[in-house]
This record gives sequence, C-alpha cells and structure tokens, in this order.
Amino acid sequence: MKRKALLALALCATLAVTGCGSGSGSATSTPVKLLVFGAPEELAAYRTLIEAYQDARPGERVQLIEASDRRDLLARLATSVAGGAPPDVFLMNYRFYGQFAAKGVVESLDERIAGSSLLDPADYYPVAMEAFKWDGAQLCLPQNVSSLAVYYNRTLFTKYGVPEPQAGWSWNDLVGTATLMTRDDRGLVIKGTEAEGAARLPAVHGLGVEPSIIRLAPLVWSNGGEIVDDPQRPTRLALDSPAAREALRNLVDLRLAYGVVPTDAEVEAEDDESRFLNGRLAMLMTSRRATTNFRTITDFEWDVAPLPIYRQPVGVLHSDAYCMTTGSKNKDAAWRFMEYAMDAEGQRIIAATGRTVPSHIEVSRSSAFLDPNQPPRNSQVFLDAIPTVRALPTVSTWPEIEDLSYGILENAMHRGDKLDDVIRELDTKSRPMFARGENG
Amino acid sequence: MTRPDTRSRRQLALMLAPYLVGLVGLVLLPALVTLALAFTEYDLLRPPSWAGLDNFVGLTEDPIFRVALLNSVVFALVAVPLRVLLALGLALLLHRRAVGVGTARTTVLLPTAVPEIAYGLLWLWLFNPLYGPINQLLRIGGEHGLTVLGRTPPQWLTDPTSARAGIILMSLFTMGETFVVLLAARRALPRDVYELAAIEDATGWDVFRRVTLPLMAPVLALLAVRDAIASLHFTFVPAFVVTDGGPPPYSTTYLSLFVYQTGFEYLRYGYAAAATLVMMVLTLAAVLVQWRLIRRYRGRYLS
Repeated sequence: MKRKALLALALCATLAVTGCGSGSGSATSTPVKLLVFGAPEELAAYRTLIEAYQDARPGERVQLIEASDRRDLLARLATSVAGGAPPDVFLMNYRFYGQFAAKGVVESLDERIAGSSLLDPADYYPVAMEAFKWDGAQLCLPQNVSSLAVYYNRTLFTKYGVPEPQAGWSWNDLVGTATLMTRDDRGLVIKGTEAEGAARLPAVHGLGVEPSIIRLAPLVWSNGGEIVDDPQRPTRLALDSPAAREALRNLVDLRLAYGVVPTDAEVEAEDDESRFLNGRLAMLMTSRRATTNFRTITDFEWDVAPLPIYRQPVGVLHSDAYCMTTGSKNKDAAWRFMEYAMDAEGQRIIAATGRTVPSHIEVSRSSAFLDPNQPPRNSQVFLDAIPTVRALPTVSTWPEIEDLSYGILENAMHRGDKLDDVIRELDTKSRPMFARGENG
Repeated sequence: MTRPDTRSRRQLALMLAPYLVGLVGLVLLPALVTLALAFTEYDLLRPPSWAGLDNFVGLTEDPIFRVALLNSVVFALVAVPLRVLLALGLALLLHRRAVGVGTARTTVLLPTAVPEIAYGLLWLWLFNPLYGPINQLLRIGGEHGLTVLGRTPPQWLTDPTSARAGIILMSLFTMGETFVVLLAARRALPRDVYELAAIEDATGWDVFRRVTLPLMAPVLALLAVRDAIASLHFTFVPAFVVTDGGPPPYSTTYLSLFVYQTGFEYLRYGYAAAATLVMMVLTLAAVLVQWRLIRRYRGRYLS
C-alpha cells in the first residue's frame, strides 16, 4: 500500500514539475519574460534589442517568449494569467488591449513614470500615449505610432507612364490611378469586373485593400462620418450616416464597379502583400508593418504615399505598446527593461528594422527612421500623418467586433451584398458585443 | 492460495496507476472543472462568478453558435459514414496478398501519419483556387480558367459549399487508423465460411452482404461510434489552419473552433465551457443512437 502511495506521489510530482516547471525561476537573477508575436524579422529585432540591453546593463536578463500570431498571443496571455504565471511584459496593439485593461491584468505605470529619470512622457507622440490610457491611468507604453499609407510600385508607374500618387490626392484620384494601373498581360488597361472565365484577366491589379473596419474607418472619418454611434461610449457600429455610407459604397465599388482590387479567389490564391512583392499589385493600402517585408524586394523600386482624402486628411492609429502584467513577480526588473526599450536607444534599434514608426518624437525625426538609403524614400509620409490620426474605440470586446465586421464587409465587397443589409447587419450584430464590453 | 492472488492484483494496480493518474489528473479533473465553469461567468482573468443557466440561455440565442452546431452535425453525418465506408472498401481491397499490396497499404496509412498542422498547410496549397494542383487539374482542356465543361472549378476557400466539401475531403484521407483495424478484422475472419460460400456459388455481393458484413459489423459499429466522437475534434485543425472558420459568414466554423475562439480569443471561458458541455451531450446522444441501431441490427442477424 505504502509503495503504491509513494509511486502515485512521485507521479504527481513529475506531472506538477513538467506541467508548471517554467513557473519557478532560478535562484539568481530571474529573467524578465517578454511575450511578443511577429514575423521572423520582427522577432529578430526583439532579440537584437534584448542583446543590446543585456550588454548595456550587465546582470539584467530578458527572456523572449514568441507567440506565432496575435491569436496565439492572446490565448497564451489569458491562460498564463489564469494559471498564475503571466509574462512580466507583453507587447500588444491598443485595439486588443482593452479586454486585458478592463479586467485589471495590466499594471498602471503612472507612479513609475513619475519617478523615472529616463522617461519623460512629453518625448512621445501624445496620440499614442492617449490610446493606452484606461480610466485616466497610463497602462502601457507605446513602442510605435503608425498609420495607414499607400505603398506603390514606382517601377510599374514609370513603365506605364502613370503619374505617381501625390500628397493631398483625393479618393477619385485613387480610383483613377488604380483604374489606369490595372493591366492585362499585354500591358493594356483592363476592367477587372468581367466574370470569371473572361478572355483576359488582369495581370496587374491597381490596388490592394482589405475590406476591414480598420481600413474603412479613416475613409469614413475623412468624409466627415463616424463608424460608431458614440466614439466615447460606443453601443453599435453606425455606418448609416450619408458620409459613412458613401465611403463604404466607394470602398466596395473598388471591386464591384471598377474591378481594380483582386477578387476573393485571387486574394486566397495570393494575398495582397505577396502580390505586391511579386510585382503584380501597383498600390497597397497598409500600415508601416509591411516595410520590413518589402525591404527584401530587389526587382523594382517602391515608395509610400499618404492616404487619399475625402474632405479632410485623417489617418487611423496603429500602435503597439509594452504592457506590464499586474501578476508579474519581477516588476522592478521589467520596468528597467521597459525604460530601456522606450528610451531613444531602444527605439532606434527597433526602428532600424523598418518595422515601426518610433513613438519617440526625436527618434522618429532622426536618420534611424528617415534613413534615405533605405526604402521607402518618403518615410516622412508616416510622420506627416501623425497629427491627424485618430484611434479606434478600445472597448474590451473590440476583437470580436473586428472579426464580425470583417466577415460582413468581405461579403459586401466580394459577394456584392446589398449595402442596406450590410449596414443593418453591422449595426444589429455588433450591439450585443458592445453591450458586453467595458470602456476605459 | 489467496496470497499470489492479492499479489498479482497489487501488481496490476501498480501497472495501472500511471494511466489512472494521467486520466484523472489530465482528463477527468479538467473536464469536471469545465463542466462547473459552464455555469459561471469566467474570463480567465478575474475569478469566476456564478451565472446559473445564463450561458445556456445565451447559447440558444447566439446565431454563431447555432451555425457552428449545424455545421458540426452536418459534418458528422456526411464525413463519418464516408470515412468508414472508404476504410472498409480499402480494407476489403487490400486484405489479400498481392503484388504491391504492402505499398498500397502504406500509402493509405501515410496521410494519417502527417502532423495535423502540416497536413492543413498542405491542403491550403492543394486548395489554392488559382495555382493549386486540384484546380489546375480540373482546368485541363478548358479555356480561360474554366473546366472542360465550361464551368468555374470549385472555389475551395471562398465558396461556402465548396469549403465545407473541402473540409470533408481533407478528413477522408486521415482514416488510416480505421483502415488498419478493419484490415486486421477482415484478416481474422474464418476462412471456412468463405469456402462454404464458394461451394454454394454465392456471388461477390452475396458474400459481402451475408458473410463479411455481418461478421465485421461489431467492429464497424465500434469504429463508427469512435469516429462520430472524434469528428467533433478533427474539424478543428482544418477550420483553424485552412479556412479560418470562413468563408464568411462562419461557413466552416464548427463547434470546436467556436469554443476555441470564444474561450481563448474573446475570453468568454464560461460561455465556451457551456458550449463544450453541449458538445459532450451531443456526442453522448450520437453514441446512444448508434448503439440502439447496432443492437437492432445484431438482433436481426445474430440471435
């Protein structure tokens, strides 16, 4: 009997150790655990940052925990918090941090910022800092402040003799340019709206844009509309105003009326980013994130232009921040790392990869970001957009709302659902999600 | 006389212990906790709070859950019989000794041995609407990207029906285990019965219907039950990796994916636990129905 009990005990112990072994650190300096996700180049950038930090501060250690994608990161963060062994620091977009902020998982940094000799909030773009405030408290520190831009293939523009996009261009200019750049394999302008099986299909598409709420939002705002009923306390997606409706109509018309964006089957076959990389997309509307990937391009020259304007220039904020978990057992060390990563030196290291528009104002204006030898030549576009960027709501159920709207908007653009139905569906289906959400 | 008895029993218990510890610690306890959480509001981050039947009421009103439930049921109804039939057909075809039969058996088994994620990524390539080999093949002889019959080839990843069919197609090739069991079962059947049937001049179909099928029925039934239970699980990776629950809206969102998304992405763990509970009840119901059918069948043939 005794032996059996002992054996069972031993087994239980083994299970416990293998199951939660990572929870107990070594006796000497426990490394700060940093949870991030990203493409291989981005992860390499974080490794470089960590190495530089460990070299600059002997004795400090940071352990990088890599998630495969955003969903994986959310799942890992939630389960590790539930399991009582959260990472010390994680990097997250403001659109997705609401659910953690609302639930008290993210440590308020106000006191630490006030007591810091390295960090001065005035050094950073206020719009990004603001996006990570919850109930008036600064919860996370924004590492970057990006916005949407139009990447374009300069070589293709020169080849077809089409004028390149200019700052201050309008939506109609965008449609006109995209139409002129949609070409068949003989290089002739072609309308990509014909049914599948048409004799000639576009070999180059004029524009790539995802039918999502984050792409639609700046267009609606620029036209003087809103995407939710009340930006402070949203209760539903409200695209029923004439301004919002017009922007939505124009977005879906890119496929339905003009055929300048690839069809859904074409997107499934080759996503927009790969299409641009392969020289089969003249323009692509996306954030700074694509830059790292596009720097691998050797076959053609490319650059960025600002978003087209309806009535006033407006951009949409893209920003990721370092957040500290309330459950962290290593807060002081975690803070020291955050200070370093946010300081000019740390921001320069990440900016050098091309991945980010630094949130540190001075660094963003330095050659670390505006390096003329690295494409895009016109990186200034991202800085010029900052004064007019707006943030999306940070309601805690935003991830659900984004997923919901993506499906509906995709069908609007590719299946040609009736606009009235699309707007009504976005409204009625998002209501319960907003109702369940918490606002900061 | 009793001493060796208790000793051997003790030995058996000892040998069973590792399995039991694993079963209780890693399966039963978490399952019980999940059941309990189904009656709470729990977001993984704050302590759970009692919610009574709220989650279940919410599920009945949730259109996404209803779609996921329907998708799962349809999948099981179509995929399970097809998988078992395919495995049975291949087992009957490959049970004899013949040239190349070993290779053929290995080929049937191989897809099951591929890691699930890799298998999913492989199909993502196969299903590629423009460049994938399946549609390239279908386009042979046709013009302007159409098939030889002048129709567009299936839009595997953008058309709801094609996508559902695609997921079922993916699941068909992973019936290797079922195949192996059926192969073994067929080879274990007594030879004299078949000799008797040959003497009686029975046709191939008669032999199958009156000899092979009744003899293999218990095994087949067990495999069908097992497959029905597993079908709720093996929709997860394809939907997660290949279709991401789409094409919109929710064409290939099965219960397993729904539970994952609500639980881990939207942090509605209690709600997801309630959906899991529904999934378990559903499985139980499926098993009971099958069990009754089998008993009726056995009653007809074997009593």
